[in-house]
Amino acid sequence: MLTVISFYLLAFVAVAAAFMVIAARNPVHSVMYLILTFFSAAGLFILMGAEFLALLLVMVYVGAVAVLFLFVVMMLDVDFVEMKQGFLNNIGFGLLVAGILLLEMLMVGATYVWKDGSTVVARGDEVSNIEAFGRVLYTDYAGVFEAAGFVLLVAMIGAIVLTLRDRDGVRKQDAMSQMSRTKETGMEMVDIEPGHGVG
Amino acid sequence: MVVTTGLLFLSAILSWVALYKVGIGHEEADIKVLRWMDVGDMKADWAFKIDTLTAVMLVVVNSVSALVHLYSWGYMSDDEFKPRFFSYLSLFTFAMLMLVTSNNFIQLFFGWEGVGLASYLLIGYYFKKDTANAASIKAFVTNRVGDVGLALGVMTVFLVFGSVNFDVVFNAIAENSDRRLPFLGMEFNAIELIAALLFIGAMGKSAQFVLHVWLPDAMEGPTPVSALIHAATMVTAGVFLVCRASSIYEAAPITSGFITAMGAFTALFAATVALVQNDIKRVIAYSTCSQLGYMFFAAGVGAYSAAMFHLFTHAFFKALLFLCAGSVIHALHHEQDMRKMGGIRKKVPITYAAMIVGTLAITGIGIPAIEAKIGFAGFFSKDAIIEAAYSAGIAGSGSGSFAFWVGITAALMTSFYSWRLIFMTFHGDYRGDKHTFDHAHESPKVMLVPLALLSLGAILAGAVFYKYFMGNAGDFWHGALPSKYGAGHAAIAPDYLMAAAEGSADGYDTVKHTGPFAFLFNTFHGYPRWVLFLPLIVSLSGLFIAFMMYMRGEGAAKHIRTVEETGGGPLYNFLLNKWYIDELYDVTIVKGARKLGDIFWKIGDVKIIDGLGPNGVAAFAAGSAKRLSKIQSGFLYHYAFVMLIGVAAIIALVFRTVGG
Amino acid sequence: MLQTISLFAPQLVLAFFASQLLSTGAFAKKDISVGVRYFAVGVLVLYALIGFVLGQPTGTAFKGALIVDSYSHYMNFFLGMSAAAALMFSKSFFQTEKLDRFEFSVLVLYCTLGMSIMVSSNTLLSLYIGIEMQSLALYVMAAFNRDSLRASEAGLKYFVLGAISSGLLLYGASLIYGFTGSLEFTHIAQVVSEGATPGIIAGMVFLLCGLAFKISAAPFHMWTPDVYEGSPTPVTGFFAGAPKFAAMALIARLLVGPFGDITTQWQQVIIVLAVLSMFVGAIGALTQTNIKRLMAYSSIANMGYALVALSAGTQAGVKGMLIFMSIYTITVIGIFACILQMRIRNGMVEQISDLAGLSKTNRGLAIVLTMFMFSVMGIPPLLGFFGKFFAFIPAMEAGLTWLVVLALVASVIGAFYYLRLVKIMWGDENENEFVQAPKTLRGLAVITALLVFPLLLLPMISIPAQSWISQAAASLF
Repeated sequence: MLTVISFYLLAFVAVAAAFMVIAARNPVHSVMYLILTFFSAAGLFILMGAEFLALLLVMVYVGAVAVLFLFVVMMLDVDFVEMKQGFLNNIGFGLLVAGILLLEMLMVGATYVWKDGSTVVARGDEVSNIEAFGRVLYTDYAGVFEAAGFVLLVAMIGAIVLTLRDRDGVRKQDAMSQMSRTKETGMEMVDIEPGHGVG
Repeated sequence: MVVTTGLLFLSAILSWVALYKVGIGHEEADIKVLRWMDVGDMKADWAFKIDTLTAVMLVVVNSVSALVHLYSWGYMSDDEFKPRFFSYLSLFTFAMLMLVTSNNFIQLFFGWEGVGLASYLLIGYYFKKDTANAASIKAFVTNRVGDVGLALGVMTVFLVFGSVNFDVVFNAIAENSDRRLPFLGMEFNAIELIAALLFIGAMGKSAQFVLHVWLPDAMEGPTPVSALIHAATMVTAGVFLVCRASSIYEAAPITSGFITAMGAFTALFAATVALVQNDIKRVIAYSTCSQLGYMFFAAGVGAYSAAMFHLFTHAFFKALLFLCAGSVIHALHHEQDMRKMGGIRKKVPITYAAMIVGTLAITGIGIPAIEAKIGFAGFFSKDAIIEAAYSAGIAGSGSGSFAFWVGITAALMTSFYSWRLIFMTFHGDYRGDKHTFDHAHESPKVMLVPLALLSLGAILAGAVFYKYFMGNAGDFWHGALPSKYGAGHAAIAPDYLMAAAEGSADGYDTVKHTGPFAFLFNTFHGYPRWVLFLPLIVSLSGLFIAFMMYMRGEGAAKHIRTVEETGGGPLYNFLLNKWYIDELYDVTIVKGARKLGDIFWKIGDVKIIDGLGPNGVAAFAAGSAKRLSKIQSGFLYHYAFVMLIGVAAIIALVFRTVGG
Repeated sequence: MLQTISLFAPQLVLAFFASQLLSTGAFAKKDISVGVRYFAVGVLVLYALIGFVLGQPTGTAFKGALIVDSYSHYMNFFLGMSAAAALMFSKSFFQTEKLDRFEFSVLVLYCTLGMSIMVSSNTLLSLYIGIEMQSLALYVMAAFNRDSLRASEAGLKYFVLGAISSGLLLYGASLIYGFTGSLEFTHIAQVVSEGATPGIIAGMVFLLCGLAFKISAAPFHMWTPDVYEGSPTPVTGFFAGAPKFAAMALIARLLVGPFGDITTQWQQVIIVLAVLSMFVGAIGALTQTNIKRLMAYSSIANMGYALVALSAGTQAGVKGMLIFMSIYTITVIGIFACILQMRIRNGMVEQISDLAGLSKTNRGLAIVLTMFMFSVMGIPPLLGFFGKFFAFIPAMEAGLTWLVVLALVASVIGAFYYLRLVKIMWGDENENEFVQAPKTLRGLAVITALLVFPLLLLPMISIPAQSWISQAAASLF
């Protein structure tokens, strides 16, 4: 019973918060609602027994992504009111399309419930989430896992290509030169007379 | 120039060799070069079918073409577009060779259209001249009418026989002789229908009555072209077609009768018109038309070999006449009106001599009813035709006896107008511009050599080849034409002809008349002698009448003056205006077609087809493009929105059928 | 183990050398972009050919995550070759625009790796990973000219809309996973054959919509003109060729594999996409003045034609799609090689009107470009005609005559703007002076032109090629 109540509570909060993300006037509020949505989703994961995923969601999405969003929103001077003008122009038609999509999804859901009603059943062997991941991640899914690594690498290359600039006159950290410093190159012995300074 | 002419002389020589080998040595060939069309059951090859019929045509086409090429060196010497001229001529020769060497109807049709195109291009060769352009269009359009017939004929052949190959079709005629086909709402015998449709094509190309109107106008082209295309070769394609398809015509007696009547009528009609024409080339053009009529009625009565023989000899003497006319025109600075000529025989003696030879040949001067064959080319072939018509007539063919009497009458007229041409051009006093006369000169040697060679042909072609063409000596035709006149022409009593030709008439000269004119009514090789003498007599009569009219006293000048003063009698004008056929066409067909065309153009094309079709679609497309570019606003959320609409709509569409 | 390696040698080659080049470039003291480019081209060619060197092994590996069959061998060959060509023709552009950086070559390699995973994916997971790897590389390449506002905008638009499409795709994948209980194609096919629930069908539609974005089929095409216009021209040339082909191949594998038993359902989706794409592409191009935008609409329309072939749902249909897309890819490479050659004094040729009088200033180029235009239009005897022929015949045989009629109407409308280009090249007065193009570009244009016209029609090439494609198509069924 408690599970059912918490499910509906969390689900309701998730949907309501998602709605507020687009409805809120202040963009900072929007991001806050987004964080609330993520939390609710994490709660739903926990209800299903996927605690690892839930914590991952909180750590990655709330801890990193949403906070990044917050930074961006606060740092960029974007006139959200103006942007929403166009949005409101199409609201009628937009609602119609949304309604149709909702209806369609309801139909899918309805058949799921009424026709076969198969549900996800937890695995019989009592292993923890992490152990379950660990069993397959480097075995069955090794290839895909490697490929996913490459996806991240590509994203990294992209970020560097698009943003990194070699500009002159900018102080940069050079790890190699830092480490290969010796006493001779890194230090200069100067006799300073009192009251005169270095030079 | 050198290349085309040289190659043509080579092929001319080779074609004589081919004629010898095929005609005497019977080395027929049917060479498939490659598969051209293979669509469903429709298979057509590029092929060379060489039998005697083809070989004869090869000789005619290549020889005349080669001589005309050579002649053109001189005739076209001051023309600025010579390369164009020679390439057209060669294109024509190529297409004509395709036509005569094909082994199926499709390749024949290709050649047929090819010569039509070349003819169109060459008639309109002087493209700066309005009349030449009009004439070329007229020729093309008129030929198109015939070509529709031919195309329908070929399609019908395919429908009935399931093949377009000559051998296959001709071998299957017997088993299809009772088939009936609906056409234009009526039922016809399939073979008759094919024969008639093919003949419509032949009528167009060979300028038979109704579709003859283009040929005289085609004289707007350069004279060598007239000689090659509109006298010797292309216009005989129709005759060739009928002979090639002789197996079909054998099985189509009704159509054959129609051909006989049509040919005879054209022979007469064209001859009457030729009587009064003043343009030297037009006289010869109508003469060509008339001679083609002869060939057709010969084919119509089943004397295919006579038709081919006349085609063969005619090619020589008619090309000769045209080239002589060209020589005259060349000498007189492109003056074609005979009323402004006269007495130039001393200026152009060789041309004059050649012209006389040609005229003797066309009028058929020779000694009939003797065993030795003496006479000009036309004598043998034309008389053979007239005899064939007589045979058909006495065997009970109505169109045959019509053709016989028409042939005789036309021969009289032929003689008259031919000699009239000679007298008006070469005799009497010069009636044109003095300056031109003073500068008149004999043509250069390149023009005279072809004249000489053709004269030789006009003199000898008949006597030498008589026994082969008519007598089928040494089995000359070897099955290319029905050697004994076939079953469909039983009416003709073929043995008469064969006997006459072979000179072994014993057993036929059975009827012995007595009395003062018995000599005339007694037969020679199966024919009463009067039949044999009549063509010669009418020829001489024609010569006599022409001489009386144009050589006595003031001669031509007086007649010209009379006409100018009185405007000529009604009959004269009727003939001068070619029976008002052109005017009739203009009133009925041309104007009507133009009106119909206007309706189709203004309402059908502009409003309905363009309005709903290209223009409508274009306008729709342009409008849609504008709307599309409006949606393509550049705003991200518009794009995303469109995607979501797409998803929703597609899911809705799929669920509609799933019924979930 | 060794067998797995031989199966995935193409992908291994790409992954290994891409990473190797990346680290080489990162640690190099000077700019080595030229060397990296040539090396990358070599890697791509090796990738294209290695499957054949190893004797075309077939099978699955990584517990069925990836499948190698004739189809993927064919696709690897084609993707590798076209990516190599695109990389070649990018050289002079990037050098003259002073944009040449080694990362571009590396990104092309990773993009190709993603595509090769796509075309041999056998589970929804590897499908998604492949698509993401390819897409991420493409997003970056679109914005490669980071100092240009238009390029940045193009990259951003592409990225955001691509994210939405990925969302659709994942939504579909999760629906399918939920209703079938598996990510593997073979297992999904088994469940589908027992009866497709609306959930599976909805999932399939979402999946298709996500993929339709990748091939820029209408109504998921909206990004195409903007991105094509904004991206650097060689990148646009790359976009129009290999990635489209890869996504199309993936769609084909998906449709006849897991969803082979619900042909009637997906057929409707494909038909809708095809009709919309053909007409949006044909009509949208009419008012364009920018060559790259024009090519964008052209590629939308051509995707429509390829979908017509797929809509037949038969082996012949897949074969027709492969032939059409192969020919299309060759033609696109050729066209872009031509566009990249045209350089007037104040920069690259971008506007259609800049082509005026090309026939007088550079006759050879005008002839080649005209030939490509006629090929794209589908004028025999050029190859484009056969592409359309083989694409439309299966649809005819499947009873979709009306669809083919619509396709022909769209082709006629489309012919207008190709002919307009030809007319401008040959008919209009010269206004610009063109700068002499580098040899590689000219060579590439001529090679593809030879492929489009005379060479590929030779029987000794066309007959084995056809049987090869037939074999590739057959391996899906």
